[in-house]
Amino acid sequence: MTEFSAAVYQNEYLAGGSTDVHAIVTVECRGAGQAGQTSAGDAGEIVIVDTSASMGWPGVRAAQAAAAAALDQVIDGTWFSLIAGTHQARLVFPFDGGPMGMAQMSPQTRSLARQAIGYLAPDGGTAMGTWLELAARVVQSVPSVTQAHAILLTDGKNQHETPAELDQRMARAAGHIQVDCRGVGSSWEVGELRRIAQTLMGSVDLIPRPDQMAAEFATLMRQAMSRGVASADLRVWVPQGAQVLFVRQVAPSVEDLSARRREVNALTGAYPTGSWGDESRDYHVAVRLPASRAVGQEQLAARVQLAVGDQVVTQGLVKALWSDDSSLTARINPEVAHYTGQTELAEAIQDGLAARAAGDDRTATAKLGRAAQLAAETGNEEVTSKLRKVVDIEEPATGKVRLRKNVDKLDEMALDTTSTKTSRVRK
Amino acid sequence: MDDAVSAVDGVVGRECGTCGTVAGPADRFCEHCGADLPTDGRATSSGVAVPADPAPPEGPDTATAPMLAPARRQPPRPPCRECGGAVDSDGYCTQCGAKAPSERDHFAVAPAPGVAAVSDRGLRHHRNEDAAAVLADGAGRAALVVCDGVSTSVSSDVASLAAARAAADVLGTGSVGLAEGSARIAALGVRVTQAAAAAAAAVAAATPDDDAESPPSCTFVAAAVQDPVVVVGVVGDSRAYWLPDVGEPLLLTIDDSVAGQQIAAGRPRAEAEAGPQAHAITRWLGVDSPDQTPRLTPLEVDGPGWLLLCSDGLWNYCSEPAALGEVAAGALGGAGGDPLTAASALVDWANDQGGHDNITVVLARLGGATGATGTTGMASVAGTASAEGTDQR
Repeated sequence: MTEFSAAVYQNEYLAGGSTDVHAIVTVECRGAGQAGQTSAGDAGEIVIVDTSASMGWPGVRAAQAAAAAALDQVIDGTWFSLIAGTHQARLVFPFDGGPMGMAQMSPQTRSLARQAIGYLAPDGGTAMGTWLELAARVVQSVPSVTQAHAILLTDGKNQHETPAELDQRMARAAGHIQVDCRGVGSSWEVGELRRIAQTLMGSVDLIPRPDQMAAEFATLMRQAMSRGVASADLRVWVPQGAQVLFVRQVAPSVEDLSARRREVNALTGAYPTGSWGDESRDYHVAVRLPASRAVGQEQLAARVQLAVGDQVVTQGLVKALWSDDSSLTARINPEVAHYTGQTELAEAIQDGLAARAAGDDRTATAKLGRAAQLAAETGNEEVTSKLRKVVDIEEPATGKVRLRKNVDKLDEMALDTTSTKTSRVRK
Repeated sequence: MDDAVSAVDGVVGRECGTCGTVAGPADRFCEHCGADLPTDGRATSSGVAVPADPAPPEGPDTATAPMLAPARRQPPRPPCRECGGAVDSDGYCTQCGAKAPSERDHFAVAPAPGVAAVSDRGLRHHRNEDAAAVLADGAGRAALVVCDGVSTSVSSDVASLAAARAAADVLGTGSVGLAEGSARIAALGVRVTQAAAAAAAAVAAATPDDDAESPPSCTFVAAAVQDPVVVVGVVGDSRAYWLPDVGEPLLLTIDDSVAGQQIAAGRPRAEAEAGPQAHAITRWLGVDSPDQTPRLTPLEVDGPGWLLLCSDGLWNYCSEPAALGEVAAGALGGAGGDPLTAASALVDWANDQGGHDNITVVLARLGGATGATGTTGMASVAGTASAEGTDQR
């Protein structure tokens, strides 16, 4: 039995005249079960591997091993397919030319898919939008699939379609499939892959060496198969006249959900959160109330709910209570402070690296210095250790750093991909 | 009086299902968290059965039978007081998010036509320490009580409610029979004095053993009404006004406060009430009070009008009888003479003035009831419309 719970962390006390309310809402899922087993509808898994010429034979052989490792984790009965990507997309499996672009996993289909994987060869360019578009089409060819997920592997930049074309093709895939993106080596662009992952509600990460791909793919597929809740929406109700300043996922990674809003009713917006396994996610919700109330008055600032289909499965209440006791109103809730810092940290790293790439060392030093300071303050050790490979941190407390010469491109990319991963509040 | 004490003694093991706070046997909501309590009141975890209602009278012993039996029922959740929207089960409005007050924080009752009470937390205080209990038979008899808990004590909200209920129970019991004129005044006066004693006993019973520092305490103003005769009794600074349809409004009580003493000695009201310590009360109900005997004021009305009882949460904004009379006339006029609507309007008005204190208003129509004099025997009041102080409309 799947169970959701919600907890709210906030300082509900507002000084007279204040109208902005911030809260961290932790949503936890337990007993999610396996993908395609507990919810209505089937699960679908797609492995998309880059087979462009730049992969070369060593890269393609590693990709073959990774695809096979991923398929080994797919539970029998799950719909699956395999796509090879170059400047165009090609359905590698199933290859029977039938109306269904996916096959159901069984010992037979697994063995046939392995054979198909063996025929992959390096050739051509890179147009990831076409890969995603085909993946979405393939998913829609099997109406019973209600939970579709893909792993996308690339080694390079998107060179054979324009950014606008990529956007259009991504938009056609959005809502049909969730995509975890992985870049191998150092020739791909973190920003580009991050944009795909954010649009398609997946993760982005770096695989430094080809021989590490198989293990990463197996892990990703195991995770996908453990997400028994096909999809859920975060719903945010605010009072009449109030304004949602933002809705942000802040753990396990920072994702601004504000633009995903879909109206449920005049006072309630739904923000898709994709599929859920046994996990916990934190959301930062900020609301501006229409007016301040008199000291001593209380009101609800937001109902934050998780809905599976039309069913609200858990709810947290964000409150506002006006007080003239400054010892209450001046306190900043530690969870809100922590995640506000983590969000700024992600921005500082990305801005700093962008400035560095553009040759603006002054901005890069300032931004990465601020990042070092925030990482130290919020105890994000993973970021701190990755920052140290890009800058020399002289004083973490004040953010005094010096840019390092001869930084390994992989270290810089690792810092970039880590930037949105947040540390949890130390409780 | 014994009833009142035993009712409070009965606070054993009946717990709020929401927060676990031990509740009194007659409580219909939790004093701590405001959650609704089951209303049958008979089950207790300690196995001691505590009836929620006084046992119904058996046989012709009318002298001790409750004249005005409190009605108990579970009201539906009323709409949002601010915007009229539906209130969600989470306790907040589904439209504007306003917190729906608990029954303790806001309640409104109208036990009979012409009689109503509204009590409200106000805007500044964290809880409502005011209490009201009103009983009426719709035929000219009514028991009206307002108690204002003194907020320096932790459980004054519990004490004030216990006191108001105990006093109303005494006021609603028994009959003055055929007594008229001064005999009726004397009989009602005795009743008010007994009611104050019952209220004091209830406050004492609500006092924790270890609270010698600041025991709970409250004010007391009560009216025993048998139209056209009223006897008002007061301890503290809650007040009673007579607002005749024709003629000058009249303040029936003298505050037991520093200002009240100065006014009684001839100092102008506005000046006295503006002085330092003006609002410090000199008498109250509580185990640390040296004098808990109510000061009685009799009144025999000679025409129709409204009797108004209130806590200082209202009169602080309109102390002079003329000023209060004007505000009340406006509220009554706007309400078309409906006392529940008018009392609510007066509470809203006080909140508009700042709502610095809890606000309680009781209104009763006098001087117009037919058959008010003569033989209002027990038989004629059986099955009368009545309600208890926490009955929310």
